[in-house]
Amino acid sequence: MQGFPGGAPDPQQLQATMLAIEQACSLIQVHMNPSEAEKVISSLHSSLMPYQACRFILETSHVPNARFQAAGAIGDAAVREWGILSDDNKRSLIAYCLNYVMEHASSPEGYVQAKVSAVAARLLKRGWVDFPDQEKSAIFFEVEHSIRGIHGPNRQFAAINFVEALVSEFSPATASAMGLPKEFHEQCEWTLEVKFMKDFYCWAQAAVFNAADSILSGNASIDEEKACSAAFRLMFQILSWSFKYNVEHANSETKIDSGLRSDAINLKKFERSLVKPGSMWSDILISSGHTTWVLNFYTTARQKYSYDPLWFDSPIAASCRQLIVQLCSLAGSVFPNDSGDAHINHLMHILSAVVLWIEPPDVIASSIRNGASESEFLDGCHALLSIASFTTSLLFDNLLKSIRHYGTINLLSALTSEAVKSFVDNQNEEETWGSDALDISLEIWNVILGDFDADKSPMSVDGAIAASNLFKIIVESHLKAAADSAFEDTDDAEYFHVSVSKRDEQLALYAQIARSAADTTIPFLAQLFSERFARLSQTNGENDPTQTLEELYWLLLITSHVLTDSGEGETLLIPEALQAGFPNVVEVAQHPVVTLSWSIINFSRQCLDPGIRARYFSPRLMEAVIWFLARWVATYLVPLDVSRGQVSRAEIDNVDKHGFQHSRKVLNSFAWENNQGELVLDFVVLISMVALTTYQGENELQTLICQKLLATVVRRKHTCTFIVQLDSWRDLTRAFASGRSLFSLSGRLQRSLAETLACAASCIKDPEASVQYLKDLMGPVAGCLVENASRSDLKSVAQKADVVFMVCCLLERLRGAARATQPRTQKVLFEMGHTVMNSLLTLLEVYKNQSAVIYMILKFVVDFVDGQAVFLDSNETSVLVNFCLRLLQIYSSHNIGKVMLSLSSSLRNELQAEKYKDLRALLRLLTNICSKDLVGFLSDSSIEGSQDIAEVIYVGLDIVTPLISLDLLKYPKLSRDYFALVSHLLEVYPEKVANLNNDAFARIIGSLEFGLCNQDSDVVERCLTAVNALASYHFKERLGGRGGLSSQLMESEGSNGTLQESISSHFLRLMLQLLLFEDFRMELAGSAADALLPLLLCEHGLYQGLVQELLEKQQNPTVKSRLAMAFHNLTNSNNLSSLLDRPNRQRFRKNLRAFLGDISGFMQIK
Amino acid sequence: MSDSEEHHFESKADAGASKTYPQQAGTIRKSGHIVIKNRPCKVVEVSTSKTGKHGHAKCHFVAIDIFNGKKLEDIVPSSHNCDVPHVNRTDYQLIDISEDGFVSLLTESGGTKDDLKLPSDEALLTQIKDGFGEGKDLIVTVMSAMGEEQICALKDIGPKN
Repeated sequence: MQGFPGGAPDPQQLQATMLAIEQACSLIQVHMNPSEAEKVISSLHSSLMPYQACRFILETSHVPNARFQAAGAIGDAAVREWGILSDDNKRSLIAYCLNYVMEHASSPEGYVQAKVSAVAARLLKRGWVDFPDQEKSAIFFEVEHSIRGIHGPNRQFAAINFVEALVSEFSPATASAMGLPKEFHEQCEWTLEVKFMKDFYCWAQAAVFNAADSILSGNASIDEEKACSAAFRLMFQILSWSFKYNVEHANSETKIDSGLRSDAINLKKFERSLVKPGSMWSDILISSGHTTWVLNFYTTARQKYSYDPLWFDSPIAASCRQLIVQLCSLAGSVFPNDSGDAHINHLMHILSAVVLWIEPPDVIASSIRNGASESEFLDGCHALLSIASFTTSLLFDNLLKSIRHYGTINLLSALTSEAVKSFVDNQNEEETWGSDALDISLEIWNVILGDFDADKSPMSVDGAIAASNLFKIIVESHLKAAADSAFEDTDDAEYFHVSVSKRDEQLALYAQIARSAADTTIPFLAQLFSERFARLSQTNGENDPTQTLEELYWLLLITSHVLTDSGEGETLLIPEALQAGFPNVVEVAQHPVVTLSWSIINFSRQCLDPGIRARYFSPRLMEAVIWFLARWVATYLVPLDVSRGQVSRAEIDNVDKHGFQHSRKVLNSFAWENNQGELVLDFVVLISMVALTTYQGENELQTLICQKLLATVVRRKHTCTFIVQLDSWRDLTRAFASGRSLFSLSGRLQRSLAETLACAASCIKDPEASVQYLKDLMGPVAGCLVENASRSDLKSVAQKADVVFMVCCLLERLRGAARATQPRTQKVLFEMGHTVMNSLLTLLEVYKNQSAVIYMILKFVVDFVDGQAVFLDSNETSVLVNFCLRLLQIYSSHNIGKVMLSLSSSLRNELQAEKYKDLRALLRLLTNICSKDLVGFLSDSSIEGSQDIAEVIYVGLDIVTPLISLDLLKYPKLSRDYFALVSHLLEVYPEKVANLNNDAFARIIGSLEFGLCNQDSDVVERCLTAVNALASYHFKERLGGRGGLSSQLMESEGSNGTLQESISSHFLRLMLQLLLFEDFRMELAGSAADALLPLLLCEHGLYQGLVQELLEKQQNPTVKSRLAMAFHNLTNSNNLSSLLDRPNRQRFRKNLRAFLGDISGFMQIK
Repeated sequence: MSDSEEHHFESKADAGASKTYPQQAGTIRKSGHIVIKNRPCKVVEVSTSKTGKHGHAKCHFVAIDIFNGKKLEDIVPSSHNCDVPHVNRTDYQLIDISEDGFVSLLTESGGTKDDLKLPSDEALLTQIKDGFGEGKDLIVTVMSAMGEEQICALKDIGPKN
């Protein structure tokens, strides 16, 4: 072939190369010495001008893998050697690849052909900008002819394949690397989209069109079908392109009125986004009737092949359906700028075809259960989902009404019920069609019910009936499943938590359906509850209640979801659907939500009776009850002022809808009426006490009590002020402070309980009472610790397991209380901490070999300092700081130089892990102390105090840094803590760093370098801050005529070997490297500018030199001049001065951003 | 509920009391101690499950014998008690290593303790011997539980003077 690169081939050598490659390929396949074989193959890829050899292999080898590798080698080599190939060479390589795929189109090894196509596409892209247009046209002329089928189906297939490869090569997400700037890739993307994409689509259309007749008549050959399905695939691929260069018309009001959504949703969950090719595509996609044609084609074909169950999974059927689903997502200016009619028509057309795939759902579902293919059904669901994302629920429902006597929601409801049934039946199996279909259909409900314009288009009457029926089926299926599974063992805890969040997500979606027909579904739930309550009370210990318990468990979960939102950490409101759902209810006693709530709460109350509790309040049922209570209290015990405010505001808005407003008011106020609210809160405390003391060892349940129920009640001021006045609450706190019963809780729970109980103090209105409350609560705990730590026989009893356990419990409680520090309670808690300080030091000594206790002490101090730091005056600060100093000294004297010996590697790892946790705690402690200093500094506290702090931190750092290795810094949590501390330290005390000894200094600088190259942008940011601090200090010192950091030298890799240089030059080099050659993240530009500016100012000479060096290295003159320009602007634009004041820093930030934007086009390459 | 006794450490100082202490299984955490098959162990994994959905919780412990490193497992209803060993760790200064594999240790009261054998494991042995051979001043930590003793840590407090 003319112009083919590479010299005249030597036949023997070619033969030898081919044999070597073939051998390597077969070795890899049988997994013999794969690394050796890979070396052989990669040598072909990287060798100079391997084209002749590759060509030889492609044409003569009988080993398909060898041909595959040869093709890849052509691509790699050509991209690498592009600069030295002549224009003829380039053209002939592309032509060769294309001819190869055409000529070998019937070859059975599709993957080799695909690879050669991909290489052709890659090279064509590489030359895309250089090649003149007519050359590209010549190539595409051939391709078009083949695609239109002139050269037979095999070539047709090959050509389609090539275009597919081309589209994916030009799409940014799938493009291969070429060592070219981003701009190049963008330019290619643009021209392809604007000039070629539509043509490609038309060719594929023509290919399908030409093949359609023979396929529909059943005369098509296998090759023809193959080409046709490839064409469908190509069309799908083109419609999946993310179109960027189109103009959208503005959203018009009329369109919104038509029922199309103004907020068409991107369905991220199913990886689908809108297809917006723009008005240019209108003719071929919309006005030409293309969609209708595709739909008709599929409908006719499925009818024709209905006898063959395998056809539905055939490539042609699958790819055609895929295209149809993609056509559903068409949006934007591809439709004419009318009132949305064209778009609605389009959706209706699709729906009328797709409906055959999913209707009637029960018949289809049963045939799938008998072994039929489910793919068409699932695709139908996907199409429905796309349609729903464009329409309001009203329009969605109406779309079907033109061809059926019921709406789309009706169909959806039937479809979802089938999915639920199938899902519930096969719950224990992996991935079934039922769970897929359920996921999709629940998402459709979510889309239509979550429409934020729902007020304007409420659900139709039959829509509501459909939703209500569906919910009944959902509940019945799940209740049956619950009863059936009641005797199974529960899963292992870890797996359990994953499945719980998945289950909650599903339940929340079910709940949404229930709320859309609240007037029927809530009474339905109430009825189910009362049936089961009755059943339980009839059992009388004769029948096993387990099945009923499991049903109740599930009912409690779903009812919680229906009645309340989950909203972690937010103020919960009563769900709007429930507030608006009962306009005709005016009597409190008749409100279904009210009756349902009270019936559940009254049932729960029975657990206070020991006999009944033993009979049927199993731990699991209690968990559901507690969970329900927590959510209910948070939602329905509405703050009184809020509930009144809401209603009165609403009354002004809407005087007419009197009944409507009244029912809202009922819902917002019923919980507090007749002292019910107080009774419920009292019950909350009583049930907590029962669960904490009589359900021994049920950690799940007790965690829910401490961390969910009690925490919820205490966190809300309006419930907390009530609860602290209750007798039951007083009993609980007394039991905690001086009883023994609560010591049976696990340590962690005692901590949460202490925190919750201490938190409540800030809701006691009278300050003195609040102080007394805390003293009563924590006094005995602190006292006990002190008393026992000062025992004379401490040494001999301390190591006993029960004593260790007790000490841990007390420490956990103290820590819990420390975490509850608030402005009002800070003083009391500081005193508490103060009284135990000496005891803690004693315990630290006694328990130096009990890592669990040591860790507990450290964690208490960490939380204590964290809570207290901001409040302390200078006296208190110095007490605290002295304490911390002694703590650090004792810890270090015990741990430096200690080697743990153990036979078992896992025990050794455990010990390591414990040390690692200690280290993190120490870092935290130092950071927390630092934060005090910052505040102290702002409030201008005494200088004495702040010096103390600096000392503590340096002692601490001296202890901690030798224990932290660079390996340990790879652990993200530790490294984050460490860098937070170091950067803070360098910012606040740069002068101390100057006085560090060489080892310590090198350790810090070494870790900074490590941090600058970290993946975590938080860490990099902190390091940049640290560098900024160091360099600014150095600069200011030198400005003042002092030495700064000049005495600290660093070894670094310069252009001519290792050299000793100052710390600022060292970091300057590092920063330039980072900015220019690494994948630098734009969000860090601000901090990078702050770090770079002082470095520039310190080392101006070196900077000029480095820039010069960089410019000289550039071969390409355009790049060189652009780079020079960018560097010039960096330091000269915006009137940059040589000061480190704020305005100047701002200017430099701007400059650096511009600089990075400038160079990103040609320095950071893909 | 309002039993207002103070919390005291209950253990009596008398030596020779029981070697273990009963503790509720639900409160034993990872990295705590536990007795399984009459061996003192360190817990490396705890998981919980229920016997039937409406039954009571039970804990599944995976633990490692603190002396011989063997892995042991146990399942206990979480409201029941488990035995927790008293694990004592004492520091001694290392005075001498004798030929027959015994060490001589200096107790706090100034006496010596000569009944402890060196570990049989080669790696541990060399760590102790090397340190001692280099003339460093070594503190060893001896772990004892349920009547067994073993050196478990080593600390260098500077060169011998």
